[in-house]
Amino acid sequence: MPVLARRHRGAIVLMWAVLACLSCGLRPAAAADATAPQDAVQMTIDFLAKDDQAFRAIGLDRVRYGLKGEAATMQFAGLLSKLAPARQLELTAALADRGDRAALPAMLALLQAAKEPAVRAAAINAVGSLGSGTEVAVLTTSLAAADPEKAAARRALTVLRGNDVSAQITEAAKSGEPGLRPTFIDILADRRAVTALPDLLTAAVDGDPSVRTAAMRALAKFGGSEQVAGMVQGVLKAAAGGERDEAERALVTVCTQNPGKERSAEVLLEQFKAADDSTKETLLTVLGRVGGNGALAIVDGLVADANVAKRKLGLTALMKWPDATVSQRLLDLLGTSQDPAERDQLLGSLIRIAPLPDNKLNDKQKLELLQKTMTLCTRDEDRRRVLERANAIRTIETLRFVVPYLDDPNLAEPACLSVVELAHHRNIRDANKDEFTKALDKVLGTTKNEELIERAERYKQGQTWERKKPAKS
Amino acid sequence: MAYDPASLDKPFEILKAFDWGGDASAFQPIDAAVVAAHADPAARADLEKRLAGLLGGGTSRAAKEYVCRKLSLIGTAASVPSLAALLPEKEHSHMARFALERINAAEAAEALRKALGSVPGDLKIGMISSLAGRGDAASVPAIAALLSGESKTAVAAADALGRIHTPEACQALAAASSVTDKAAAAAISDARLACAESLLKQGKRAEAKAIYASLSEAAAAGTTPTAKATRLAAARGILACLDTTTTS
Repeated sequence: MPVLARRHRGAIVLMWAVLACLSCGLRPAAAADATAPQDAVQMTIDFLAKDDQAFRAIGLDRVRYGLKGEAATMQFAGLLSKLAPARQLELTAALADRGDRAALPAMLALLQAAKEPAVRAAAINAVGSLGSGTEVAVLTTSLAAADPEKAAARRALTVLRGNDVSAQITEAAKSGEPGLRPTFIDILADRRAVTALPDLLTAAVDGDPSVRTAAMRALAKFGGSEQVAGMVQGVLKAAAGGERDEAERALVTVCTQNPGKERSAEVLLEQFKAADDSTKETLLTVLGRVGGNGALAIVDGLVADANVAKRKLGLTALMKWPDATVSQRLLDLLGTSQDPAERDQLLGSLIRIAPLPDNKLNDKQKLELLQKTMTLCTRDEDRRRVLERANAIRTIETLRFVVPYLDDPNLAEPACLSVVELAHHRNIRDANKDEFTKALDKVLGTTKNEELIERAERYKQGQTWERKKPAKS
Repeated sequence: MAYDPASLDKPFEILKAFDWGGDASAFQPIDAAVVAAHADPAARADLEKRLAGLLGGGTSRAAKEYVCRKLSLIGTAASVPSLAALLPEKEHSHMARFALERINAAEAAEALRKALGSVPGDLKIGMISSLAGRGDAASVPAIAALLSGESKTAVAAADALGRIHTPEACQALAAASSVTDKAAAAAISDARLACAESLLKQGKRAEAKAIYASLSEAAAAGTTPTAKATRLAAARGILACLDTTTTS
């Protein structure tokens, strides 16, 4: 062991002794049971030293939930430096769960002395559970390490308690290591650090795109109407393409999902109305994604404008609409539009909008809209999309709409998919067993898709099917 | 709704000949009357009398089972003789115990204790289980006497004493630690652990620790998984007894 580490360990032990004396002296007259009996502490220590995992588990359980008091904590923590790495991991986790800050010096010493990344990560986790604002600096240092230490440091900074913790992380997000600024912002978001909101708005227009993106992502998590004006600036500052799209989504989230979303949408509309033409052009897609009557009036005006560019902007906003309130407008426009590209876009929007789960139509109206859209399709490619979208409307009428297309060789596969998807929902399937059995038989005689065949057979037998989870990227 | 005995005449008549797979909806008025009887002592007594009256001859097995279920809900000491008469009958013993185990009357426990001394083999295990279910301290001597007997009965007796866990039950288990039957010995260890847990919960740390220590010592030389499990449980228990900073 290096001399320095030994010296530190000695200092820590001395400090524990001093703290123990202090705590004995300062402790108010407490119940006799406030201090853990030494025989129980020693028995626990003996268990922790055993090779048998089951006995160690008994000891660790007692460290976690029993033998209260700083004196016992310090005795347990004092074992850390003497244990093998695997045992250090166990005890570190138990002491972190114990939640007694008296173990903190030992955790910091372990972090300094340990070589194994897993042990260091465990110590970092424990510092996160037991530490306070004083430990921000040491955890920040660990944030620059590789995983698993980095991941542990991020978790630790997220859970670290203390009034000044968020302020310190905010400062680091402003002026810390440039490569780590987005990480600090993500941590502030996970901490739901409302005091950092003004600084996040500043970061949303930072010169560094990764900082801007992190800030907008953070604001999407807990921003409200008071942040909308600043987030609009974030959208405008974002580079066109991926960054702009992500920034727009963040603003849309605040205006459609976060608490106070109605007021946020109003503020967005106010910002739009007060903006110059160039800004309006950028914000129109956001306005379309948020929707609402105020936005619709603006979009209607643009769509009716004789200026081709303005009409195109209006249509773009309309096509992003979040619900089916604009379906009739889309149908009307489809009836009058002569531009093939525009017609394609309008049709695509109708197909997307008709079955939206959170729209203003009931299932019957949704299906009618989709059926009407089907009549407007001139290409099988569009008809296939209609059939694929149909299964989002989970009614027996949808099955009856889809089944005839099983006979059309060009449309049979999407129709098969929709029949099987509808059959996935037991409440519709069981209530209409005969119709589903016939439809599934037809699917089995039509599709070549092995997964659909397996699912159809299972549903026919009243069995369930577990949807495969998408692979994690 | 007022209790109307006449409205139950037909359901009771159908019930007599009821067999499994038949239409049980015909007894719905009896079900409803049982629920309503909780607030009407006179109705409850009348209903109990009519139900108990079906436990004699001329009633199907399925009907008797139904009656036992209902008596488990509204039965009193008045039903005990009719139910007790079924205890030695292999077909009906189980459901009679089902009712007697739940009837809040000393006579019910007395009937089970009496049957414990008279019913044969497997039925005896049922009596032991029901007396344990009632936590019947008065049955401890009779149950303890079975610890050294036939293996299955001894296992049931040990389990029952662990569930009753009065000081007398714990002492009886400790006194039986020399039992040689492996299954019974394992059950006695388990039951003694249950006694110790109970004592610890009551704050009787010294008494609990003594049991844990005795178990630990007895299992110290054992190499079987059961011996190890006992050592672990005892070690955990001793530690919990020593830890006066936490309540168990």
